[in-house]
Amino acid sequence: MAEHPPGILRVIDFGRVPPLRSQTLWHAVATGVSQGAPPTLSFARPDAPYVCLGYHRALDEVDGEYCRAHGLPVYRRMVGGGPVYLDDGQLFFQITLPAAAVSPARAKALRALLGPAVEAFRAAGVDARLDENAEICAGEAKVCGHGAGQIDGAVVLCGNLIERFDHGRATDVLGLRDAEHRAQTLALMRRYVAATPADPAAFARALAGAYARALCLAAVPGELTSAEAAAVGELDGLFTSEEWLRGPGRPAGGPAAGAGGPAPWPARQVKVRAGVWTFAAGGEGGARVVASVVRGVIERAWLSAPGLNGGAERARRAVTGIPLREAPAALARFGAPGRHLAAAFAAADGSRL
Amino acid sequence: MEEARVAAARAGSARADGAGPGREAIAVVNGFPVATDRLYHPATHMWVAISGGIARIGLDALGIETSGALAQLSVPAPGAEVTAGRPFGQLEAAKFVGPLVSPVSGTLVAVNEAVLADPGLAERDPYGAGWLAEVALAEPDGARPGLLAGREEITRWFAAAVDDYRARGVLAE
Repeated sequence: MAEHPPGILRVIDFGRVPPLRSQTLWHAVATGVSQGAPPTLSFARPDAPYVCLGYHRALDEVDGEYCRAHGLPVYRRMVGGGPVYLDDGQLFFQITLPAAAVSPARAKALRALLGPAVEAFRAAGVDARLDENAEICAGEAKVCGHGAGQIDGAVVLCGNLIERFDHGRATDVLGLRDAEHRAQTLALMRRYVAATPADPAAFARALAGAYARALCLAAVPGELTSAEAAAVGELDGLFTSEEWLRGPGRPAGGPAAGAGGPAPWPARQVKVRAGVWTFAAGGEGGARVVASVVRGVIERAWLSAPGLNGGAERARRAVTGIPLREAPAALARFGAPGRHLAAAFAAADGSRL
Repeated sequence: MEEARVAAARAGSARADGAGPGREAIAVVNGFPVATDRLYHPATHMWVAISGGIARIGLDALGIETSGALAQLSVPAPGAEVTAGRPFGQLEAAKFVGPLVSPVSGTLVAVNEAVLADPGLAERDPYGAGWLAEVALAEPDGARPGLLAGREEITRWFAAAVDDYRARGVLAE
């Protein structure tokens, strides 16, 4: 099916498209590239807001009730990462390559694929760098969300230029039922996720040039093949099916967004950027914990446990500013309530978020 | 790092429940442990241990090393049909989702819920408790084309794979 001459980087600008198509168009490109279409850089901007879940994430990480009330469709993508809020303040790009052209070491592949994006940010006037966690940052804030995956025989890396970002809505869609957890997550999101109001056209030109140089290909404007166009229709159907939205390994009848909602104090962890996350958890005896963890250190905590008898503030001070792993020991002197709180802290693990 | 990998594999192999390979079955090849009492699909680094028409499958230490820290694993529920050479599940590491390719054909009869709940188990004990799924083979007595068997063949392939990955910069020196 190699309908295109070798040595080109096909560049497709889908422009402003409906939310569903802002996903299915590039997934269709992946099916095409895996069948012989050339390496492709694509762009799309959703013409309306929506929410998108990473392939493995549970649907109840999104507040279905909130999304329905605000007219936000929810889709599940075939690449990794968490639940994200998307709108027309974000320009999305995807670089799609044959899998054989990408290092089998995923961390290495990811860094290699993100390198040209960093170059494009810098060309567009953003002082961006790739940090040790493979996040594109300016200062300490993430300025580009990314996810990657292998779809059939193609590897896709997705990212975005965030021209404007609605931190409040991005937090609201996460369905954090506890006000303190929401407040802590929003505070970290405002600090660690930043918009970079660069010229999107300049960014797109720079990105095409950077990927073409990195891949030793010539960037050439292109369009979908007929097979890819046909795949879009099939993917539209898949992405709007309940079974697909439910996610892998989750049978019908499992948790669904807004279907009764989560328990009042489920353990819940939210990653804001690599090394920065919040969690809310309940322990025995009615103990409750909400905390913000930045590079392994508890930066902010809210604690409650029957029997603390006014000791909550002392317990809060005892864990604030210390490494998360030391929290259980720090709470040992608070008796049974401290042990219950310690158990809630011990269950928190952001290492695999 | 290498010592930790090998020690972990050997510790897993010594478990009392017999789910892992025997200690003597673990060979250390260029710093990576490999269990030699089973079959391997070299391109995907999946292993297969067959007993009584049931194939237990998992990912070898080199496949796990190149994936990075596993965040998520997904496989279909028992009853699903799997085909040799075709994806049957997905793994996610560093926000990168990739296919788990089945080395055999048949019907899934069990999935390892423990490894789905804690993907790190596959890193800590790839040849024992970190198994992924069990498949009732479509052809229990059939040939296994494309699968490597025997200590000599397995260690020769594994050594070449490690060398190749190191030469290409896929693995740290």
